[in-house]
Formats: sequence, C-alpha cells, structure tokens
Amino acid sequence: MTAAVIVSIRVDATPLQAFEAFTEQIDQWWRPNPLFALTPRGDGQLRFEPGEGGRLVATLANGKEFEVGRIIVWKPGERLALTWRQATFAPGQSTQLEVRFEAVGDQTRVTVEHRGWDKIPQDHVARHGFELMLFQRRQAEHWRGLLASFDGRLRRHGE
Amino acid sequence: MGQGQRPHHEEATRLSTRIDKTFAALADPHRRHAVELLGERPRRAGELADALGLPAPAMSRHLRQLKQSGFVEETHPEFDARVRVYALKDGAMAELKRWLANTEAMWAAQLSSFKVHVEKKRKFDKKRK
Repeated sequence: MTAAVIVSIRVDATPLQAFEAFTEQIDQWWRPNPLFALTPRGDGQLRFEPGEGGRLVATLANGKEFEVGRIIVWKPGERLALTWRQATFAPGQSTQLEVRFEAVGDQTRVTVEHRGWDKIPQDHVARHGFELMLFQRRQAEHWRGLLASFDGRLRRHGE
Repeated sequence: MGQGQRPHHEEATRLSTRIDKTFAALADPHRRHAVELLGERPRRAGELADALGLPAPAMSRHLRQLKQSGFVEETHPEFDARVRVYALKDGAMAELKRWLANTEAMWAAQLSSFKVHVEKKRKFDKKRK
C-alpha cells in the first residue's frame, strides 16, 4: 500500500524529446510553487546531473546548493526515478519521484508519480509494463479512498 | 525572487515540517496496516497483534511509535483501567492529506508549464527546418 500522487499529461513531442526537455531544460519550465518550496529560501535554479548516481540540484540565490535528490533510474526516453526531499525534512528522510515517458501515437504521455514511502523498484516498468502501473494506481487510490473515509469515521466516533 | 514571497515560504515550511515524520511513521507496512484497522474502529493492542500476526512486544513497539508521531491515542474502557484501547487520533491524517493535495496541485502546474515549454520549442524547431 502506498500514498502516491499520480499526475500525467500528454505532450506533442517524442518520448526522447520530452525526456531531454524534462531533464536538460528543467530551469526553463520549472515554476516555483509558493506552497511547496524546496527550501525556505525558495527553489532557486534547478539542474539535473545526468545519469544514475547523478543528482537534482537547486542553486539558491545566495549561491548555496541544495541537493533535492539522487538519481536512481536514468533511461532517456523511458523513465527517470530519483529521491526527493525538501530542506525541512529530517536527515535521511525523503520521498520518491518517478517520471515515465510513453509514446501515444506521435505524442508522449508524461506521468509523474510521487510517493511518500516505498522504494522505487529498479526496473519494474520494463518487466511488468502497464499492468503494474495500473496496480500501483489502484493501490494509491485505495489509500486515498481510505484517507477520505477516515474523516467521516472519526467524526462518528467522536459523537 | 520578490520580497512578497517570504510569508509564503514560511507558511510552506510550517506546512511541511511534520510530513516527513508522517512518512517515517507510515513507512512500515505493519504500522500502516494498524492505522488502517484503527481507521475502522478503536481496538485493543492484542486484537491488533492478532490481526497483524505480530508478537505482543513488537506490536507495542509499533503502537508506541504511532503514539509518538501523533497517529493514535490510548484510552482505557471505564470497566477496566488495565485494558488499553487504541484509537486513531482526530486529524491524524490531516498532514498526509494536505501533502497529497499540495503535491498533486504542484505537479499538475509543473506539467502544464512543461507541456507549454516542450511544444513551444518543438514548433520553433519545426519552423527552422
């Protein structure tokens, strides 16, 4: 069971073009989100150090660097996975981010999955493909449904 | 970055100060299962241990951790003060729900911005050909 956020969008580009734009040009499309700042000093300028073992680094206005995460999977045109932490997290605590690029006709579906726990399997998509993705989505939905129902139950117990 | 963004950042820091603790508490599958069961109704520790197939000491360790991270509270039924009943704390899941909602909104916005960027660049590349 996992609590995950899954968001996808279709873009008019090939999976490889989308992957390259996502990674090489993150400083051009990333929009700092006031409710979700990476550090108390904002998001700074983001940059990927390519390849497995590489990093996603934010360079802040004062010149300091903050490591957002370590790259676990780097498969251009297919899949990207990394750890993801905000500066306010306890040391050693991080979340997991996975980005998938799938051809849909001559477009690409880009799916971001952000998980609060559970390690990202190294090669699950290659091995199990779409079925596993559906399974994960169902799991995520299960937990979210559970969360939604907790409130109602707690209120009833409180009566 | 404008000065006007400061209060937002402070708010963001406050919002996310506890979410990592929430994740740490829920990272364990047994604790997650216990939270699910307690979401249905309050239960005794022994009941939880049976349902999870855990020995009593392991179960109390998990319950202690869940108590420390603010997920569950311990009560005693009126008829017997020695019996401990565990219940999910009101608002226990608020932090996690907020994280899910904020993270979803954040990625939806990022991906829209990404789409605009990719497609603008592609049109430009096509024109140059």
